[in-house]
Amino acid sequence: MSSIPAVVAVNTFREAVRDRVLYNLVFFALLMMGAAILVGQISVGIERLLIVNLGLSAISIFGIIMAIFIGVGLVYKEIEKRTLYSLIAKPIQRWEFIAGKFGGLLLTLAVNTSFMLLGLFAALLFVSHQFQSSDLGIVVAAYFILLQLALVTAIALFFSCFSSPMLSTLFTLGIYVAGVFLKDIRDISLLTKSPFVGAICKAIYYLLPNFQNFNVIGLAGHGEPIPMNLLWQNTLYAAVYVVILLIASAVVFSGKNLK
Amino acid sequence: MSPRKKLSLLASVGLPVLFAVLILLQSRIDQTASTEAPEQEQLLLSSPALIKRISFGYDALLADVYWTRAVQYYGSRAGIPGSQFPLLWPLLDITTTLDPKLIPAYRFGAIFLSEQPPVGAGEPELALKLTQKGVDANPQDWQMNATEGFLYYWYLQEYQKSSAAYLAGSKNPQAPAWLAMMAAQVVLKADETNTSEMIWTEIYNSSSDPSIRGNALKHLKGLQASKDIKVLNDLAQKYHEMNGHFPANVDALVQAGLARSTPVDPSGFPYIYDADGVAQLNPESDITIQAGPVTPPTIYNK
Repeated sequence: MSSIPAVVAVNTFREAVRDRVLYNLVFFALLMMGAAILVGQISVGIERLLIVNLGLSAISIFGIIMAIFIGVGLVYKEIEKRTLYSLIAKPIQRWEFIAGKFGGLLLTLAVNTSFMLLGLFAALLFVSHQFQSSDLGIVVAAYFILLQLALVTAIALFFSCFSSPMLSTLFTLGIYVAGVFLKDIRDISLLTKSPFVGAICKAIYYLLPNFQNFNVIGLAGHGEPIPMNLLWQNTLYAAVYVVILLIASAVVFSGKNLK
Repeated sequence: MSPRKKLSLLASVGLPVLFAVLILLQSRIDQTASTEAPEQEQLLLSSPALIKRISFGYDALLADVYWTRAVQYYGSRAGIPGSQFPLLWPLLDITTTLDPKLIPAYRFGAIFLSEQPPVGAGEPELALKLTQKGVDANPQDWQMNATEGFLYYWYLQEYQKSSAAYLAGSKNPQAPAWLAMMAAQVVLKADETNTSEMIWTEIYNSSSDPSIRGNALKHLKGLQASKDIKVLNDLAQKYHEMNGHFPANVDALVQAGLARSTPVDPSGFPYIYDADGVAQLNPESDITIQAGPVTPPTIYNK
């Protein structure tokens, strides 16, 4: 197995660190500290719950912003700066480059998510002075967020292979929003009398990535058990979707005339 | 001096001055705004279903925000004479639609809605609607049944329904034993102070929130005072039989050997007697005797 994707991934991660991408952690830390101190004074009965909901939502929002805005530039930036040409002159397959770029951004997001999770637990300890066994659900919720980020990264990378960053951002955001509302799109198929519209809605429901699958923030906040089946189902769902998108990206990128 | 140094010097002196001007300007603007008609607080979006839909999956966090907004809205008005709470119900409805499992919003929100103005919205029916929404969304949570039973008992004085709600909660395997006891007691002893004391004590013990505990403590002090006043009225009658006139003050009871020490209310203020020997709270006392299912002593009907 070639080690080239790993080399590209590590360099992509280093580049993200050099670009001060991880500075968002400082903002996250301030947000969690502020919330932990303030929440008890401005609300009633939800001190722990708010820390969990706010922490996980912030991990998700920060991650999605990073995945989209860095993801759409992954390939485009290399072409624009002409750094790609020196790379493809070397014995690197184009799919290896795509896989490496994806791996690098995912590594960045994983590191970012891990640090944020640590910050969340620190704030939680400050508010409730002890951990509970149900707090394990928070780790599962963060893992699901990471799966969601992997999907968003793969979508952004796919568009990055043939479109400008501006358009790629719009396309990725559009798919993300549609993926959040997929349940409503499926419900249209149940309400409509037209079999054609119903079939289209159903097709969209199954073809677009369903981001609601990964949303267990509410369950984690209330300390309710997260079905263990979801763990492997969501992992497999994200993995299959990411592989589809990476293959599509590699196909598009391989056919791209870079001369 | 080089142009760069000049610019740095200008910035280090000029920027603080400009910020100071900004602060002054803002306080002027605030003063001008406060002389205008007070801004009516409004809900930009009032449909809970729509808000849930546009929350982009962050409905749990948005519920926390709305609940905090409801607490702030209530807190900024509670206790101020003439206060009204028109947005309290919509805020609570949105909160519990966004997160149907947010138990504090049902429990405390029901009390905010039920208390008589200016302490609350004076809408026990809406409180009941909120609690029933909570019971439907959280059938496994006995606290919802206990809140429903309490609303029927204290604010609506429907004792059969109160008993049914407590009974439903007591069937939950995790429910404490006192729930079944309450189911029996509210029907049998609906107008007894002890039953009310038991409920408010449970509310006091089951919450860690200072405002909820404070409210429960206020009710408990009021109930204790109403019991004290009943005893003091009996003692005044006894004093009258012994001396041919009513005691001028509660110290007279001590002198007559009817009390060991000066009777004081739970806040430490001595009770007072009127000319007809009817005991009353000291005007300086912070205790209030709340309306509720407890039949007030006859002296309050005079």
